[in-house]
Amino acid sequence: MIFLTLMLSTFREAIAKKIFLGFFAISTLIILIFLFLINVDSVEGMVNMMESSGEEGIKQLVIGFQVAMINISYLLIITFCLVSVSSFIPSMLEKGNIDLLLSKPVSRTNIILAKFSGGVVLIFVSLVYLIGLVWLILSLKSGFWHVPFLYSIFWLTLSFAVVYSLIIFIGLVSQSTVLSIIISLFLVFIICPILSVREEVIFSLVSNSTVQFIINFLYYILPKPSDINKISMNIITGESVVSYMPVYSSVIFMLAVLSVSVWYFRKKDY
Amino acid sequence: MPVSKLNFMSIISTNNLSKEYPSKSFSKEKILALNNFSFEVESGEIFGILGPNGAGKTTLIKILLGITHRTKGDIKIFDKDIADESYKMKVGYLPENHKFPNYLTGEQTLMFFGKLSGMNSKDADARTAEYLKLVDMEKWKKTKIKKYSKGMLQRLGLAQSMMNNPELIFLDEPTDGVDPIGRKEIRDILINLKSSGKTIFLNSHLLSEVELICDRVAILNKGVLVKTGRVEDITAVTNDYKFMTSDLDENTLNLLLSKYKAVIKSRNEFLYNSPDTEEMNKMIDFLRGNNILIQSIVREKDTLENMFINLIEKQN
Repeated sequence: MIFLTLMLSTFREAIAKKIFLGFFAISTLIILIFLFLINVDSVEGMVNMMESSGEEGIKQLVIGFQVAMINISYLLIITFCLVSVSSFIPSMLEKGNIDLLLSKPVSRTNIILAKFSGGVVLIFVSLVYLIGLVWLILSLKSGFWHVPFLYSIFWLTLSFAVVYSLIIFIGLVSQSTVLSIIISLFLVFIICPILSVREEVIFSLVSNSTVQFIINFLYYILPKPSDINKISMNIITGESVVSYMPVYSSVIFMLAVLSVSVWYFRKKDY
Repeated sequence: MPVSKLNFMSIISTNNLSKEYPSKSFSKEKILALNNFSFEVESGEIFGILGPNGAGKTTLIKILLGITHRTKGDIKIFDKDIADESYKMKVGYLPENHKFPNYLTGEQTLMFFGKLSGMNSKDADARTAEYLKLVDMEKWKKTKIKKYSKGMLQRLGLAQSMMNNPELIFLDEPTDGVDPIGRKEIRDILINLKSSGKTIFLNSHLLSEVELICDRVAILNKGVLVKTGRVEDITAVTNDYKFMTSDLDENTLNLLLSKYKAVIKSRNEFLYNSPDTEEMNKMIDFLRGNNILIQSIVREKDTLENMFINLIEKQN
């Protein structure tokens, strides 16, 4: 009951800070653009052309749309979500607020886990709205009900959860919203994509084995949201997934960072 | 358990409680916020904690509530070490400068903190209505907290601290920002809580207020317990008696000054320092022998504020 109350307070905070509203506004805009796109004459013509080339053509077109959708979601939605939730922990730690919270019969571990779960469920619900609606529109329009597209709700939520765990840790240590945003965006959009193409790009430029070892080490210990996104797209397009290592290592990273966050929060004086 | 028995039960007890903070500079020296602090709070009393800024009062409250961790020492609340956090189910707290989520209304705030204290929705709902009425905030219950004044926030904070019907309530500056009428109302609420068997642990800078409602106080200075005891015991410190009489003639006034070393305030009033009952009776005999009518004799009391200031000045 107490855990649920804390989780729901995250939802309430998100509603109050217009995070939900912002997410639904962006999602609705994307959906409307999608609706517009699939109804414009050129696309209509493309659909007709694909229909004439058979069921496979339709499938390819739908999958193309879905992959584009995932890329948009990854860029726009994850950015929006990370920026939005970065203030959750620093605002919880404000003097006068944290004192009251810690005086209640709720363990510090549960406070962190409730904040984490609340944020993750919040993003999951938001993604169900966006991805689910786009899937419904595409399926109704094309008659091709491509279920793997719905799995991306899970993959995007996982990507978010992994980075959110880091945001929680940074928020606990620094009590700064700005720092949490900067580090998380830097990690998601700069460090991770670069490390993801380390073999193709970096190693062709750097031959030093020590540097290569360090880069490899960083790749394996850091979360891999961009690689999880690639896995998500492979599943949609039906391509085989070479390795689920990015998923496992990211989950391990998330659990480790959450454990450290709980340990730090339990030790800290407020 | 009968109330008479509860009155002798210690609700809070600390033994050699110490708290060290790391120095903010690079030096290895630590800041000692509490130094071997031992005290007890009995069930059903209003206990005041006094001390200058930085004495360690808020640190003490935070340690008792598990917000800050002790460095060493024993702490028992409801006869259990505070490592067992179950005691928090029976505790209420109003922090100094509390900050409620400002997107909530007064009603939602009480519901939220009630549920966080382990109450179910039905109970929390009933108590919310009851306590909003008690602190006279009923008509503002649907208003967002960001629109509340400081005084309104204090009233709501007090209601919040009572939501789970706690046996022990910690109040850190509960009348801060409240006008005199509001302060009187809060005092009345605290006295009512006491009469219903609750124990109140109060930290307030308003010593006159502490003197009015506290049964016992502890005075802290630089993390050390300087004095503890019943308010009337630690304020009744003088042997000075104020005499109110009929008009004193010149001869009597001179004798009072020279023989009895009295301090003359007016023709009807003087202070006499009487070391014992015999000397007091000699003074009465002297006055009556000179046909002076005695209207009243009152033993002079030090105010808590005077006593506090003198004590802290001596310490420093």
